Amino acid sequence: MNARWTYFLLLLGLPGLLWLATLRVEGEGALSMPMVRLPLEPPDNPQTPAKVALGRRLFYDTRLSADGTVACASCHKPAFAFSDGGQRFSRGVGGQEGQRNAPSLTNVGHRRALFWEGRSPRLELQAVGPLTAHNEMAMTPEALAQRLEAIPSYAQAFREVFGEPPSLRMVTFALAAFQRTLLSYNSPFDRFQAGDLKALSPAAQRGMELFFSERGDCFHCHTGPEFTDDTPHNTALYTVYPDIGLARATGRDEDVGKFKTPTLRNVALTAPYMHDGSIPTLREVVMHYNRGGQPNLNADVLIRPLGLSEQEIDDLVAFLESLTDRSFTANPNLLPPAEP
Amino acid sequence: MQRWLLLWPLFALALAAPVELKLNLRVGGQPLQFGQTYQTPQKQRYQIDLLKFYLSEVALVRPDGSEVRVPGLVLAEFKPGGPTQGVTLMRFEAPPGTYRGIRFNVGVPRELNHLDAATQSPPLGVNSGMYWAWNPGYIFFKLEGRAFLEPERRWVIHMGTDAFRIPVRLQDLQTPRLVLNLPGRGGSILLNLDVGAAFLPGPGGAFLDWRQEELRQLHGLSPQTRAFMGLVYQNLIQAFSLASPPLQSR
Repeated sequence: MNARWTYFLLLLGLPGLLWLATLRVEGEGALSMPMVRLPLEPPDNPQTPAKVALGRRLFYDTRLSADGTVACASCHKPAFAFSDGGQRFSRGVGGQEGQRNAPSLTNVGHRRALFWEGRSPRLELQAVGPLTAHNEMAMTPEALAQRLEAIPSYAQAFREVFGEPPSLRMVTFALAAFQRTLLSYNSPFDRFQAGDLKALSPAAQRGMELFFSERGDCFHCHTGPEFTDDTPHNTALYTVYPDIGLARATGRDEDVGKFKTPTLRNVALTAPYMHDGSIPTLREVVMHYNRGGQPNLNADVLIRPLGLSEQEIDDLVAFLESLTDRSFTANPNLLPPAEP
Repeated sequence: MQRWLLLWPLFALALAAPVELKLNLRVGGQPLQFGQTYQTPQKQRYQIDLLKFYLSEVALVRPDGSEVRVPGLVLAEFKPGGPTQGVTLMRFEAPPGTYRGIRFNVGVPRELNHLDAATQSPPLGVNSGMYWAWNPGYIFFKLEGRAFLEPERRWVIHMGTDAFRIPVRLQDLQTPRLVLNLPGRGGSILLNLDVGAAFLPGPGGAFLDWRQEELRQLHGLSPQTRAFMGLVYQNLIQAFSLASPPLQSR
């Protein structure tokens, strides 16, 4: 393990892991320790404790928005796995409503593609979007730099961390460093994988078998330890998409209705679902896929009626709920700092 | 031989004349003034609040069609409180002589447009205010303002992606109408940009109707608004012109 990350984990705690370290798996006498996957650090933005602390302050600070009412955390709330807590669309400056559901930031440091279209390659660039979008935080690079420079504690912190005054670029670097610490690997599913065979209920175990089978067919897109392929797909949510998705960026007809596969970690905390928050519950999401979606020429080839029974739908939902990591949402090191 | 080599810098100096590329902002035939209300051909009243654009791949065109290419990329920015007339966009050197025009692109060259913006230096990079987070690459041309509807509405035109790099060709190799004689002491090439031309109607009378919400936020390649972005693009290709006289010697 990278020495710097080791230091981070020790510093930041991850209380759930510490708790786990004291557990013994009944009947096996072995420790059950889920594996934490650490994001790669970009060479131009190495993690440091001071940078993470600065990013954390910025993440929760509404002064980063033009009218001082919106912070990153306004739409990415810790209690909801850093999604927007039941809101279909988030509200930006002046109460303006966005057009898409705020995604969870669970393990966002592992995303290779960001935004619902998946068109941003790294956290340092992604953050420019919400900070400057007219209906989100609506800041200009000049206004942001001036405002932070006028706050002595920020002016000093930026110089200590980056050796230069505040700027939009440095704000995004600090935010990215904090977001790379949003790590969640302590769900019942993780503990089950680590050897605690009682961590999953029988229903969740049946759901897991379905999830990873060709019959349930969830795992082709929600793949790997992050439960996402980071790739846009058309999931036949609509026949005519009001929001055209990836096509907005590419202009190609075949990209209409394509949105990036979201992670399913902590998915039970991130309702409502889909890019537009149009499906209120997990069960209804599973039912959508079970029906095979709506007729759509761009629909992914894997979208078709699945023929799952009501019991199987319940089992899949039980499995999805087992991906919830309460130690993540309660981790004090990820919550608002004492002094914003 | 050594003596000739020592004289080479003097020859080189004689071969390179300093050139300033300057710009006047216009609305129709009048100089643009921030804070002044203008009217589109469709009688919608508006003000301009911000104009920013990248200028790159500049070249002076010789009578034989060959080019003197000017390296570099600049970001022009115009906003209230700043000048709008005779603003220097870039300085470069070119051999004295006769030219038949100038060409340039409004935009960022493709080879720079898709590099990691987090690591690029000014005028590129995220601090430029021209980086498009959700759509890798830069906004090439940014025009923002207000429309005096009921109520007043803000509108933006953020043009970018490789498909919307604006090629401006102010050259004439076929007729003798356009001749730029660059003297050895150098000079200024003066351009006009008619900002109001962005709002001219297109075929069939289509126009940027700010009463429609989606046309007040014109971004990127969206098929929903691409026709209107294309209309503005076509208008902007023709919105640049050479001032009269186009070249002023020093």
